[in-house]
Amino acid sequence: MSKVFQIALGILAAIGGFVDIGDLVFNVEAGATLGYQLLWVVVVGVVGIIVYSEMCGRVAAVSKRPVFDAIRERLGFGVGFGALVASQIVNLMTLAAEVGGVALALELLSGLPYRVLIVLGVAVLAVVIWVTPFEWIERIFGYGGLALLVFVVAAIKLHPDWGDVATGFVPHGTSSDKLVYAYFAVGLLGAAMTPYEVYFYSSGVVEEGWTPKDLGLNRTNAIIGYSLGGTLSLALMIGAAALFLPLGVEPQFIGTVALGAQVPLGTIGLLLALVGILFAVGGAAIDTCFSGAYNVAQFFGWEWGKGRRPSGAPRFTLAWMVLLFLALLVIMTGVDPVLVTEYAVIFSVVALPLTYIPILLVANDRAYMGQYVNGRLANALGLFYLVVILIVAVTAIPLMILTHQGQG
Amino acid sequence: MSSARELDVGLGLLDHQLVDCKGRRCGNVDDLEVEGLRDGQPRVTAILVGPPVWKGRGWLGRLAAFIAPGGTVRVPWEEVERIDAAVHLRKTARELRLGRGDDRARRWVEWIPGS
Amino acid sequence: MDSGLLMRFTDLLDARVTTESGQVLGRVHDLRAERTSRTLKITGLIVGPSGFLERFGIGAPESGARIRTRDVVPWSAVIRADSRNVVVRDEARKRQ
Repeated sequence: MSKVFQIALGILAAIGGFVDIGDLVFNVEAGATLGYQLLWVVVVGVVGIIVYSEMCGRVAAVSKRPVFDAIRERLGFGVGFGALVASQIVNLMTLAAEVGGVALALELLSGLPYRVLIVLGVAVLAVVIWVTPFEWIERIFGYGGLALLVFVVAAIKLHPDWGDVATGFVPHGTSSDKLVYAYFAVGLLGAAMTPYEVYFYSSGVVEEGWTPKDLGLNRTNAIIGYSLGGTLSLALMIGAAALFLPLGVEPQFIGTVALGAQVPLGTIGLLLALVGILFAVGGAAIDTCFSGAYNVAQFFGWEWGKGRRPSGAPRFTLAWMVLLFLALLVIMTGVDPVLVTEYAVIFSVVALPLTYIPILLVANDRAYMGQYVNGRLANALGLFYLVVILIVAVTAIPLMILTHQGQG
Repeated sequence: MSSARELDVGLGLLDHQLVDCKGRRCGNVDDLEVEGLRDGQPRVTAILVGPPVWKGRGWLGRLAAFIAPGGTVRVPWEEVERIDAAVHLRKTARELRLGRGDDRARRWVEWIPGS
Repeated sequence: MDSGLLMRFTDLLDARVTTESGQVLGRVHDLRAERTSRTLKITGLIVGPSGFLERFGIGAPESGARIRTRDVVPWSAVIRADSRNVVVRDEARKRQ
């Protein structure tokens, strides 16, 4: 297989894997509530996740330490343990939301009862994780997630006012409720800069034994993949703004999200949307599940990694199984997955500084990084996003409370 | 003056991954034993691993030590073969009594086909 | 833990470092050590400011060396050390 073809496939998988349930919920709700006004925030978020991933990947390739190793070594056991507990709580909430999303998509596709599909969905995910080689998991769910491109087609077919859309890319104030605007900005940033994706990526870098030489190519992969994946988020918002805002529809259900494709494109649109959601969210569930297991195994020094085989890394294996089971329990209580998603995104934003700051420190530490230490651009971006992350972390919960999760 | 044999204990050893002679990850350096502070020949004599060791790592460490099962394992310094990103040991984890958590957990997992 | 001949490394961290005449130099940030074939000899104390940020390496001088360059007090200058205090000779020179 030629190198170019391989790269292209990698990028395709990254695009399909970009969107998770947080992006689905927040981009559609933001579009339905505020129209095109927050498109610029999506761009800020996509650049943010690129910056964050690049640093974590570089740290992992140079120091051979994935994120939670670096956190413990750099900030010590106490702070590291606090970061671990916080990140596991967030991981569990995120995983529960994604399991719920998978069950909902299956319900809309099959008509089978929701609760049955929760168990079925979790069982299928567990079997897939157990049986499928690592690279194939990313490919299957990545390519399946490409069905979400239907939302790009749908957004175009809804004939939005492209002039209005363009103004959405310029940061500006709002005539709408400022707190609601701020809440959605925070949520969109949180949905784009998902920490579990970064833990997962850095663990993958160490598992595959990347050296600094591998970085250049894969950095480009990530940039292209995330940027193009970001257009899916933009399409979700544009479509929702064109369709739901004029009607005053508040999308509280995954089914409503899928309407964004069905109305302009009919049944085919609906099917592709649901299949896309199923694969994108299912893939995200697997990533979240693994990253929870990676974090705890790396922090305590256990053997970890899919490449070690389950009996070679027993505590790691039990960790992801337990996490998946706990998520099942949470979502079986009947709690609304969309609500869990909103909480998960907000809480992950609050916990983000705990894992971002150590990585920024390590990336600047010449003793760890040698010549690959952060240059001026990396630090300018890194510091910019540190400020963004701190502001967002501090304001997230107050905004959530004050705006009743964006309902004003 | 730095040479390949010099290192900073906190930076280069503490909290680093332990790897046995077969390449198996078997814990982190949770603390180190230091001897000879009074006789003018101070040296690191052992690596300490295990939940009870975390009691010396702050109040969160004490909380973690309270929750986690397991005992302390003392790895004499002579067992260290080399140090890079991880601390590589001369013997297997089993011989050094490390990684027992994984050994205990294995029976929960190995009965499933495909493990 | 008996703090006489046998100590934990983490016990020593953050101990206050003063000279014989009472001048406060800072806190123990780390220990410099040298590997021989079977032992790890402690050759120096790394003393840093008591500041919160400095603990995390912010404000530490950059250098191309593999080992971070901060104030290192050779162990020969140490008069006594325990988990609370380390006292060094007045003429303890700070060097790389």
